[in-house]
Amino acid sequence: MFRNCAIIGCGQTKHSSRRRDVSVAELVGQAVDAALLDAGITMKDVGCVVSGNMQGFGGVAQPDLWIGDWMGIPGKPAIRIATGGTTGGSVGQGACYTVASGMYDISLGVAWEKHSDSKEAGATTGLMHVGMGNLFHALTYGLSLKNLIATTAVGAAAGVAVYQARFYMNRSGCRQEHLDMVAAKARRNAAKNPYAHLQWPNCQPSDIAKTELIAFPFRYGHVCPASDGASAIVVAEEKTARKLCKQPAWFLGMGSYSDEENQLQSENYGGVGVIDPSEQMGCRVSAQKAYAMAGITDPQKEIDLAEIYQPFPSQELIFSERLGLFDDGTAWRHMEKGETDINGRMPISVSGGVNATNAIGSSALQRILEAALQVQGKAGEHQVPKKVRKAVAHGWGGVTNYITVTVLGNSPR
Amino acid sequence: MPYLKDERPATMMVEGDWQVGAYRYKAPRLLEEFSAGMKEKKIIGSMCMGCGKVITQPRNICGRCHRRMEGRRVLSDWGTITCFVTSPPVEKGRYKIFGMDPVDTGTLKLGEILIPVFVRFDGSDSNINCLLLNAKPEEVFIGMRVKAVWAKELKGAMSDLEGVEPIREK
Amino acid sequence: MDKRVAIIGCAQSHHQYDVQKTREDLVFDVAKEALANAGILREELGTVVTASTDFLDGRTISNVFLSMAVGAFLKDESKVEEDGATALQYALMKLLAGAYDVALVEAHTVGWQFNPHQVSFYTIDPLVDRQVGLLNDISAAAIQARIYMDKYGVSQEDLAAVAVKNLSNAASNPFASRRLPDVSVSEVLKSKLYYEPLRELMISPVTDGCAVVILASEDKVRKLGCCCPVWIEGVGNCQDAYLRDRNLLGMDSLKKASASAFAMAGIQDPFNDLDVLEISERYAHEELMICEALGLAREGRGKELVNKGVTSMCGELPVNPSGGALGADPICATGLVRVVECVKQIRGEADGHQVGSVKRALAHGQFGICAQKNTVVILGGE
Repeated sequence: MFRNCAIIGCGQTKHSSRRRDVSVAELVGQAVDAALLDAGITMKDVGCVVSGNMQGFGGVAQPDLWIGDWMGIPGKPAIRIATGGTTGGSVGQGACYTVASGMYDISLGVAWEKHSDSKEAGATTGLMHVGMGNLFHALTYGLSLKNLIATTAVGAAAGVAVYQARFYMNRSGCRQEHLDMVAAKARRNAAKNPYAHLQWPNCQPSDIAKTELIAFPFRYGHVCPASDGASAIVVAEEKTARKLCKQPAWFLGMGSYSDEENQLQSENYGGVGVIDPSEQMGCRVSAQKAYAMAGITDPQKEIDLAEIYQPFPSQELIFSERLGLFDDGTAWRHMEKGETDINGRMPISVSGGVNATNAIGSSALQRILEAALQVQGKAGEHQVPKKVRKAVAHGWGGVTNYITVTVLGNSPR
Repeated sequence: MPYLKDERPATMMVEGDWQVGAYRYKAPRLLEEFSAGMKEKKIIGSMCMGCGKVITQPRNICGRCHRRMEGRRVLSDWGTITCFVTSPPVEKGRYKIFGMDPVDTGTLKLGEILIPVFVRFDGSDSNINCLLLNAKPEEVFIGMRVKAVWAKELKGAMSDLEGVEPIREK
Repeated sequence: MDKRVAIIGCAQSHHQYDVQKTREDLVFDVAKEALANAGILREELGTVVTASTDFLDGRTISNVFLSMAVGAFLKDESKVEEDGATALQYALMKLLAGAYDVALVEAHTVGWQFNPHQVSFYTIDPLVDRQVGLLNDISAAAIQARIYMDKYGVSQEDLAAVAVKNLSNAASNPFASRRLPDVSVSEVLKSKLYYEPLRELMISPVTDGCAVVILASEDKVRKLGCCCPVWIEGVGNCQDAYLRDRNLLGMDSLKKASASAFAMAGIQDPFNDLDVLEISERYAHEELMICEALGLAREGRGKELVNKGVTSMCGELPVNPSGGALGADPICATGLVRVVECVKQIRGEADGHQVGSVKRALAHGQFGICAQKNTVVILGGE
């Protein structure tokens, strides 16, 4: 079962809202070159390239056909994996499977997003189109415009996350100030990460609380940015990994279970059988599978660090519970006590996470990449002080129904 | 770290267009039943004969059972609020829909406070997302009982269900 | 490969231009049929890999509203954004890694929704080529056809002969969409001209369609007691450089992909080791070039295979008895439909277009203008 494989090199680009100094091909090239350099290999050694992004934002269909050269694809096997917000996580898992299957010895996983290529406000174009067909359908049946605006635009940037946050706050007792705390922590952590987007060195919850309200409980200070950026990882099988890398980040377990649509509609504006979008059954099951593969029976004790995909601060709390890191409804209490800080007992998103840097296609791969850096001890200023034996990297996307959970460790299975 | 500095001068911009409007989407006739029900002040849900779940607006396929949701149920027009969000007072330029400002077109009034809610009508296993009417933002709470507000003129369209309002003691 | 994976069930839709069904119904019906064909319940599934593209489906994250229909509720799920044959390879890799033991692979495209040729236009480099506006998938294919014909003295009649073979084969395939049993070379040459030398009947038709295949690892196959598993003996995948940067004459990526697949399957003489081929030929000249790249004929001699009847239904090595992509081309599903057809041939279930007893078959899927990416799958019976 499962041929052991590990991440031996990571590369990412500086993220900002407009990387006008490079075209999308060059952006990807920067990440790939950095990853190959870090791994100590050349493009000749790569057996297979797995790539992905959300093509809607860039306006180019199947971009790997066009910019493949910059990822070293010509003449090599290549697979394009794209699953919405979890694209990066699926790409990372895909790169692992290509090696774990025994078909290839070294694989490259690349994910990117260049939001500034889209004329409209960053992420809006591509995201609107997830529900496009359904919206047109509903409008044909006389859905009132007022209803449409009120239900989709209020909390527009936040989409369904607003409702998800409300459900969580209602059942757990979490308050708005806790969201301020999480957002401030993300921006403080990001200031220690040279590649992150929203860097705010001494950000305090009171700074976040001063920003304007979008729709309770979300403020403008809570929302993630839309970044341009790319990330790449090099995955190698055991022998090669041991030869080339002092401390590889071993893949211990993976899960990518999809739930019923959690957002308000199914295909063609139907309803969905999920009342509470903070329930996230898919995340529970994915984590179960990943932990089972990794041989983890008590995540609260065995996981040393988590990189959670949290475009909104409420999601850091929600998903940390669903990943089994805290008991149900208690994440905000542990966060309040400082347990999720860089030097805390359960550091979460010490890179700043998606709340501080969001190049959608690559964000979930960045979570795997950051977890790998922590396991390898290469994270620089935002390296956690304790030894990281097992780390979990998480991604969510789709209509809040797609999840990827990846467990990395400092020794193989 | 050679890639951290922006060493190169700005690139040039090349315009392009991605026409999404040219698509023809295929749709089932499920919403037709729902809209026809609206005309009679009925909220219709589809039911899975395998697990018994009732979903509204009607959906085609039950994921758990992997079968079509062939049953139909008429739900009560009384329900419970499972979640709500309150907007700050509407300002010009805050919302844009299909390139137009809804304050300009009269869809929304300046200073209006919108309260979109998730309502679980009795008998349903899903939420409907609609507006809470005739209520002040301070009095809304999760678990509040509401009833459907129907348009004065019923056209057989989704807009016939204008929203919900709190059930008040007379 | 020391571990083995087999196909235990498959199904495809009746492909046609306007299938009169929603995406959801299309995928649901075929997934249900495939599960029944494999004799398993949805609960047995471990992982699901789908293939579709956002631009073709008109929705960002094209698979997100289809997870329930395809049977992926609370199952591991992922999506490959290209041909179904590559989705098959990805699912195969998940099973070989030992992470799961049953996989469902699905691929679909609803061509009626949005012209796939227009989507191909959006794959072209936006900085220069799209601005110039002369290149699209048909004009590029026409350029490739012209280069090939000029170099090797292949005539328009040779291209038409391929079309005639496949379209009349398609007539015996109840699932194909363009079925012309008595079409002639002159009819093909008189059909509507797109870009010289490509005419309408030499170009695959825009179609709606879906295909689903169920995979299981060897242990699971024995446990389930499947009769007629079809084993995946080899798989190869390769991608060429961008359209203007590559050699249009040679189908280099297909040569590399088939070399990997043949090596894995232990095939040294494809002409004699294989019994039938199902290839994805979007344009008539591609079939000639593909046969050459697979080693069935020398460079430029692909036309002899067709003219001498070697690749006809009753020839020595039938190619595309189902009609191939010229018979029905639901873009992302085409490669997976070829896999389904091979499985049916090996099982002896290809009603109307069965080519006798088949032990080993080759299925090919492509994606990108002028077959930029290619995936080759070798299948074998017990």
